[in-house]
Amino acid sequence: MTAAPATQPGHQEPGHQEPRHQEPGPGPRRKAPRPLALLTAAAVVAAILALPLVFLLIEASGAGAAELASLIFRPLTWSLLRNTVRLTVVVTAACAVVGTAAAWCVERTDLPGRRVWAVLVVVPLAIPDFVVSFGWHSLWTWAHGFRGAVIVMTLAVYPLVYLPVAASLRMADPGQEEVARSLGVSSVRTFVRITLGQARGAILGGCLLVALVLLAEYGAFEILGYQTFTTEIFTEFSGYSFAASCALSLVLVLLSLLVLAGDGLISIRGHQARTSRTGPRVSPPRRLGWRRWPVLALFAALVLLALGIPVASALYWMAYGLPPALSGGANVSLLDAAGHTALYGGSAAAAATVLALPVALLAIRHRGRMRLVLERSTYLVLGMPGVVVAFALSYFTERYLAGFGYGTAPLLVACYAIMFFPLALVGVKASLARAPASLDEVARSLGQRRLAVLMRVTVRLAAPGLAAAFCLVFLSAVTELTATLLLIPTGTQTLATQFWAYESNLSYSQAAPFALVMIVVAAVPSYVLGRFFQRPGQTGG
Amino acid sequence: MRQVAVTGLYKAFGAHPVLTGVDLEVPAGSLTAILGPSGSGKTTLLRLMAGFERADAGIIAIGDATVDGPGGYVTPERRRIGYVPQEGSLFPHLTVAANVGFGLPARQRRGGKSGKGDALLETVGLGGLGRRYPHQLSGGQQQRVALARALAIEPAVVLLDEPFASLDAHLRASVRADVQEIFRRAGTTAVLVTHDQDEALSTAGRVAALRDGKIAQCAPPEDLYRRPADPGLARFIGDANLLDGVLDGGVVKTLLGCLPLDPAVTSLGTAGQVTVLIRPEQIDIGPNESGIPARVMSCRYHGHDAVLDVQPGNAAAAPPLVVRVTGARHLPAGSAVTLRARGPVFAWPAD
Repeated sequence: MTAAPATQPGHQEPGHQEPRHQEPGPGPRRKAPRPLALLTAAAVVAAILALPLVFLLIEASGAGAAELASLIFRPLTWSLLRNTVRLTVVVTAACAVVGTAAAWCVERTDLPGRRVWAVLVVVPLAIPDFVVSFGWHSLWTWAHGFRGAVIVMTLAVYPLVYLPVAASLRMADPGQEEVARSLGVSSVRTFVRITLGQARGAILGGCLLVALVLLAEYGAFEILGYQTFTTEIFTEFSGYSFAASCALSLVLVLLSLLVLAGDGLISIRGHQARTSRTGPRVSPPRRLGWRRWPVLALFAALVLLALGIPVASALYWMAYGLPPALSGGANVSLLDAAGHTALYGGSAAAAATVLALPVALLAIRHRGRMRLVLERSTYLVLGMPGVVVAFALSYFTERYLAGFGYGTAPLLVACYAIMFFPLALVGVKASLARAPASLDEVARSLGQRRLAVLMRVTVRLAAPGLAAAFCLVFLSAVTELTATLLLIPTGTQTLATQFWAYESNLSYSQAAPFALVMIVVAAVPSYVLGRFFQRPGQTGG
Repeated sequence: MRQVAVTGLYKAFGAHPVLTGVDLEVPAGSLTAILGPSGSGKTTLLRLMAGFERADAGIIAIGDATVDGPGGYVTPERRRIGYVPQEGSLFPHLTVAANVGFGLPARQRRGGKSGKGDALLETVGLGGLGRRYPHQLSGGQQQRVALARALAIEPAVVLLDEPFASLDAHLRASVRADVQEIFRRAGTTAVLVTHDQDEALSTAGRVAALRDGKIAQCAPPEDLYRRPADPGLARFIGDANLLDGVLDGGVVKTLLGCLPLDPAVTSLGTAGQVTVLIRPEQIDIGPNESGIPARVMSCRYHGHDAVLDVQPGNAAAAPPLVVRVTGARHLPAGSAVTLRARGPVFAWPAD
């Protein structure tokens, strides 16, 4: 039988009785129907997310290469670069150590009160960084500059490392450690070779988030008098030096993208294999023995410094600060500010969650190049600090809408939604993973169209996770300061901006209640979130 | 109920071909098992029938309608297939009754107690459990609900993907028997995918052996076991002793003596070298009977029966024969025994 190059499907020799060697599939493959609606929706989302970067590039090209170069290559840039990089490196390293150590103690040892510590060490994440720095700086003036920034930022953001590391230690296969020990590897070397190896991806992922937060932070560094790219962009922008803020933004975005690219390179390697089909086995906790006392002391100190001082400071200023009548300044109702904060935050959270849905669905349920390109492109937003997004959006309204929309609530909400899209995506993806594809298939085999399946099965199952994604964005928007200051609708105040106004006035006693309300407002959803992400993934019940 | 016809089906994932020309007929009202080792592409074949994947080439027809072919492709929701996946995949957020009624039109669903759903639950032996949630059911019960859910839409064909694999051994037999009975009474056309040959042979009316991306043979279980298409298939389905033999008239001469040839063999002439299939239970064993002297090399004891490796004395160089005896016999390694084979035997031309 000659293996003639068959071009027509189904044009095989009729006597198929004798199995021959495997022929390649004949002819061009038929195309499976593509989820066109989903692809379109995801493409629209990707386009929206790309807007800030596009505007920034348009602005940059408008300014001209020569002017940009003169604005970039000057001593100020170098000093900003040095400040920014130095702080980022030191704080990221500190967070990696504190976060990993805390996570290991909580997840893998018999530390007394593990469940309580697990919550207490995460709560500082909910406290806005500028409130933490206010807490320290208003009490002790030595908390200032580089030293102050390192202390405050480490205490404010180490949970970003703690959370993923704790999760990965919880999910990791304890069998690997047991096998290593059985092969004669000492416990210390097992920790280094196996445990840290298992958590490596989580540690690096946490460090990435820390670095990105540091690059984007404005409020805390302004209070502490530490100059970085972001603070300088903010200052230039407020002074209407658009070209200068554009030039610095380019450098800042480049830095952020570098951090992202570094993470991409690292995370390509390292696969996890687990043969067991059952849920993760819990490893027996390591006994601390007498060491539990120093470890307990360290945990108490960490919580005291990260959580106690901001709260105590706010309470202190409320009790002993100058009475509001003497400190002057406009009196804005706390309720009024809280109402606006909730309105903007809620709208942004809803918008970001809805935007994340098509991208997450595509990422989880479909294969193909388009999917990869679309999903990856949305990661670019991670590299866009809030100040740059706000700057780009206000530039857009200025240039193309003749100022229309500037200083309105929709612009601020859009800015939040774009900034916090990655957070929403993480939550939505995690929740969709709880609605396995096999259920979709069953639903379709029962005669349900794609949209009906989405509404009747996928979204219903993902609902708790979607709520978590909503909370995550809400939380972030409520405590956002930088973009809010730049885009706040005319005549309104949020908790953050009003706090900022009082703080800048040194009206600490008036700023304090706002700080306290933000802490409470942010802590509750973060507690709920913590509970959600701590539960192991399960589809039943 | 409709018949299913698959012709010249190709499917590759990337550069890796999975199905390379599958031809399969599933007659209306039959239960056909697709038997293949893991990775043989049997689940892919099922998913192609269901429409979750699209074939690269070939035709799938359900009844008179071509659902996948050069002309077009019918989406899963319009194929009327009852799909029962491996783990049951019940919707965890819905009650048992809502799961069963999931595929019914909205009007029937909202009618509260749908008589149909209740009747189906009754059929699968779960009457009265409609208000439970899936996590409150045992694995076997979940599997039955998944079946009722698939039957509720009055499917043209039911597709089952290793539906009993996740069940405990003792549950498996009873659920399997129930499913068989339900299908038999309803006259359901069903395709069942499994890697378990016991399951395929005991459950299905027809068994299709999938090998190297093609259907090697599709036949009733007794035919497939006693008259496999080639020696490889004989080994794939059950234990097999493949002996050299010489055909002369209707009799084959082997090292176990002269045995009558199965009259169903048509591929042979009247004389010549052949390969003979002797199943382990075709060999009688006894220390006292007249027969070929042999020695037990090893014994694998299963309780109800035992499988012996036996070396015949007249062929010390040949591989040991596999013999099955009842578990009541105690024949430890080293026992001296005699062998006698029972015909008729099946054979192919020697290669």
